[in-house]
Amino acid sequence: MNRLNIENIHEDRMVVEVLDDNSNITVKFKGDIDMEDPGLVLDPFFTTLHAKLLEHKVKEVNTDFKELNFLNSSGIKAVAKWIMKLTELTEAERYSIRIQYNRDITWQVTSLPTLNFLVPGVVKVE
Amino acid sequence: MSVDTTLTDGYIELKFGPRWKYIACVRGFIQNFLAISIVDQSKADKIAMAASELLENAVKYASRDDTHIVIKVSPATEQIKILVVNTAKQESINTLLSIYEKISEGDPLQVYVTQMKEAAVRSDGKSHLGLARIRYETGGDLNVTVEKNEVQVSIAIG
Repeated sequence: MNRLNIENIHEDRMVVEVLDDNSNITVKFKGDIDMEDPGLVLDPFFTTLHAKLLEHKVKEVNTDFKELNFLNSSGIKAVAKWIMKLTELTEAERYSIRIQYNRDITWQVTSLPTLNFLVPGVVKVE
Repeated sequence: MSVDTTLTDGYIELKFGPRWKYIACVRGFIQNFLAISIVDQSKADKIAMAASELLENAVKYASRDDTHIVIKVSPATEQIKILVVNTAKQESINTLLSIYEKISEGDPLQVYVTQMKEAAVRSDGKSHLGLARIRYETGGDLNVTVEKNEVQVSIAIG
């Protein structure tokens, strides 16, 4: 179990794992996020993640999308909703989000870098 | 529904009952079809994404058990056209037309980011993000037409 004590998600063809190597927290997305309303699962997950990151004073979290084959627009909404939570915090409270993507998956190349524009300066896409 | 094709064009047409689980299956089928029709993998991926988003909308808002998708390939120009047709209730059609009007003008990236920010504060379980995503990620020409309660959404990607 990771230090945040957050359970992994295995729902339909979607897997979300929270990995902790003692220095970095990484949220890894795998499979396909293409259910009708992924927010039903992802919104509570991101709400808990956000709260735990603040509680543990984590200043940076990695998100790894490299093994995610497909993310529908409802899934993008859920990710955007999480990122937008950072606007409710002061600069001192904020953590940054590092996004790792797969350059061989076209939607990742076109869609994930746009998350940079939601809250400039706190999302790093690489 | 009629499909405007020439003898040199290739096309597939699928009709299926509006079941969510069929969408991933159709997306996979389209990817395989395009793999033998065009060489540009990036374009094939964009088309499969666009088709999937359009089908999600069609299935979500279908009022009858008939959703059509046509993928037309023009080998000479490698232009691809996707057409999704379904029937919907007037309320859903009005919402679609309102979203289309909002996202069809202006810089596609700015429009997409604006829609993402608005989606993030929606609490009704809808994203209203699919069309803006398609327009930005494919760079294609998006078109919506309505006749009575039949909705046709098309995207042409050059």
